Amino acid sequence: MDNIKKELSFLFIAFILFPIYAATAYGALSDQAKVCLTCHSGRGMTKTLENKEILLLFIDKEEFAKSVHTKIDCNDCHTGYMAAHVSKKRVIKSKREYAINASRVCSTCHPDDQLKKIPMHSPLMAQATCVECHGSHYIQKMAEWKKGVNETPYCLTCHRHSLSMHLKSGELLALAINESSYKGSIHGNLLCSACHRDFSKTKHPVRTFTNKREYTVLATKSCSTCHPNEQLRKSPVHASLMATATCIQCHGSHAIKGMKIQKIGMDESQYCLTCHRGRLSMTMRNGESLSVYIDESSLKSSAHGTLKCTACHTIFSKTQHPVRAFNNKREYTLINTELCKKCHQNASTQYESSIHSALFKSGNTKAPHCTDCHGNAHSVALAKTDKTIGLTSCNKCHGELNSSYEASVHNIARIQGKANAPVCSSCHNAHNIESTKMTTKIKEGCFKCHKDMGKVHNKWLKNPPIKTATFAGAHFDVVSCAACHSPQATRRIHLSLFDCKTGKPLTEEDIIKLLDTTDAAGLMKKIDTNGDKIIEGKELWGIFSMLWSKGVRTTFTGKMDVSNSAEAHQLGTKKEATRECDKCHHPESPYFENVFIVISKADGGTTVLPAEKGVLNSIYSIIPARKFYAIGGTNISLFDILFYVALIGGIAVPIGHLSLRIIFSPIKSLRKMGKGGKK
Amino acid sequence: MKKIYLHPLPIRIWHWVNAGGFIVLILTGANIRNILNLFSVETAVEIHSWLGFVLLANYFIWLLYYLLTLNIKIYIPPLHHPIEFAKKALRQAIFYGYGLMVGDENPHHSTSDNKFNPMQQMSYLMIMTVLIPVQIITGLFLWDPKLFSPIVDVVGIQIFDLIHVLLWIFFSAFMIVHFYLATLGHTTWAHIIAMFTGYEEEHEEHGHGEEHGHSH
Repeated sequence: MDNIKKELSFLFIAFILFPIYAATAYGALSDQAKVCLTCHSGRGMTKTLENKEILLLFIDKEEFAKSVHTKIDCNDCHTGYMAAHVSKKRVIKSKREYAINASRVCSTCHPDDQLKKIPMHSPLMAQATCVECHGSHYIQKMAEWKKGVNETPYCLTCHRHSLSMHLKSGELLALAINESSYKGSIHGNLLCSACHRDFSKTKHPVRTFTNKREYTVLATKSCSTCHPNEQLRKSPVHASLMATATCIQCHGSHAIKGMKIQKIGMDESQYCLTCHRGRLSMTMRNGESLSVYIDESSLKSSAHGTLKCTACHTIFSKTQHPVRAFNNKREYTLINTELCKKCHQNASTQYESSIHSALFKSGNTKAPHCTDCHGNAHSVALAKTDKTIGLTSCNKCHGELNSSYEASVHNIARIQGKANAPVCSSCHNAHNIESTKMTTKIKEGCFKCHKDMGKVHNKWLKNPPIKTATFAGAHFDVVSCAACHSPQATRRIHLSLFDCKTGKPLTEEDIIKLLDTTDAAGLMKKIDTNGDKIIEGKELWGIFSMLWSKGVRTTFTGKMDVSNSAEAHQLGTKKEATRECDKCHHPESPYFENVFIVISKADGGTTVLPAEKGVLNSIYSIIPARKFYAIGGTNISLFDILFYVALIGGIAVPIGHLSLRIIFSPIKSLRKMGKGGKK
Repeated sequence: MKKIYLHPLPIRIWHWVNAGGFIVLILTGANIRNILNLFSVETAVEIHSWLGFVLLANYFIWLLYYLLTLNIKIYIPPLHHPIEFAKKALRQAIFYGYGLMVGDENPHHSTSDNKFNPMQQMSYLMIMTVLIPVQIITGLFLWDPKLFSPIVDVVGIQIFDLIHVLLWIFFSAFMIVHFYLATLGHTTWAHIIAMFTGYEEEHEEHGHGEEHGHSH
């Protein structure tokens, strides 16, 4: 009996159940599908595309049989494929192209307008193909699929693709999630809705945002669910950062690693950039906002690209980040330029002797410092390769001179691409820039390129009978190069006041103290005794003698120069240069009619006082301006008068003596004749 | 008429080179200062510079001659007899101021060893040992201030120019007076001819005077 039962069970399974099963399973497929699956059920079936991607052509029969498309003929979607397709090999460029073409068929049964009725579906349709989201051969009914799938894979169905959202500001907000990065992150085990609380498998509101900032501020609110603000604010640095940046700006969102792991493994600069690559800023006490954002690519390509952050920012490290407060942005800049001295000692020492430094030390906070010329330290170019820095940085403050430089032979040479064509720093130096008013030292800038100028000028500037290179040098000491080489310039004489003992300019501030005055106005009253705002010869002597009486030995060092900076840059060609001696060495030379007294100031500037027209011809100027003399040009007028007096005197002696001889000649005759008087 | 050899050839050459040089230097100096307008400034400076060096060399001819011949003593007053010298100088001054006019005999009779009267001694000593060297030196400083910068920069070029110009004024007057005084020989041209020939004719009336040497 038992055996019969067993046999009957076997026959039932073999001939009734199994065929039913087979019919249900394999039998659910269309006949055409069965044909296609003859080949396409082979696991190794693939196609190499034009871009070398491998397209799997394998279809899992059983999974396909479970899908919503199981009863459809293959041809209904893959239109045009007949058995003969094997002989006609299709050229497919890429998987994407294949997916796009394949997805077009979907609208045959699923019209676009219907699909777009689903709120989130419409924007998704614009960015991904049906196949990319839904798959192809194993599509389940949505309701069933949703029930079975976990939340995170559900979200990632769409969000693993290159989705994005256009914001009102025109920005594009990326919505793609790198699945592996997310799974490897510290939040990898959380459901999406742990942070994105408005969303779930059944809820996906459509939202609009003005800009990315608005989105990140909103998104960041979720962070405090697990990371309360009081905890985060325990670190003062973090507290200050929280005021300027959202969590996401620093930490990112879906690929966050644990902080300790990040710190240990991370390169120092990358650690700093974790925050500083974000749009962070620091608020000054005066309300100014200073960006502390670092553009990583600019930094890497800058002259400082190979340095660690702490090479300059020595008080900071991976474990130390003091919170600092500054009154204003300028103060921050000036304090931080002290950092430059660490490596750039030479330049720093040279800067200390410059007019810019003097200006700064006098209290002018606008005086240029390192970054004012070189730009931000995080994007500074190598000065050796950036040939224009010596021009462009100067133009920031001295732009008014640009037109005169542009017209000069130097700029023409620069435009022509001539090597070593000078820019501002070529002549004025990059760091030890000095005032050009007080001396002719600027000529050293000219001599850097124009070598052996003594010899060159000696060809025509010579004093016979022996040609000496020093004769040209005597001119270089008192005549600026521009005075001869700037064709259209108005020349003038500067008499600059120097302390003989120190050899340095005597500043206005020093003079104010020495002469017991309180300010510049008081000093002027003492100097300009007649109040006409012009320094006459007597007043020039007055300055000298007042200082002499205070034990200070001074001299007015003279030089011939052009009238303003613009003229100093309007340099012409060799042919246009002044060569005629009597242009200067003549009493009627107009150059000596414009004389100015120049007194240096502590801030590097100068006070310029006009002098009387003939001040250099006055006897009062001999001692004060004893180091400046132009033969024929600055003759002391009194001596010409004395010359005439001497001539007259010289003639008067013989005339007088002769007259007396004539008067006394009768007595002489009488003596000769022996009558009267002695023999 | 007795002839006394007063002026050796080197001295005569030196004198006329000096005289001519002085005149041209004075005139070119005036040109440089634009008192005269004979040449351009450049030409005036060129002539002035050339002549300056000629007179520099000329000075050394004078110096070498008198040092080598030891005749430099004719320029040096007898300082060991200062009172006697002072009296002689006064006498000479009275002669020039009055005695000459009334026909008095010149108290000084020139000889080759005692060419100069006391006043001439003092004047020429000052001129030859101080004024001319100073003029030459200041001239050099003005010629190339940079070459002599260790001194020029310390003192100041205007100071040297001041000295040079004041001496120029002095020598301008001196040349006129010197020329006039040169005509105060026994004849108007006696001293001048002597400076060409070397021989001064001694007037017959002289020979009994206290001093020997008659030259201006």
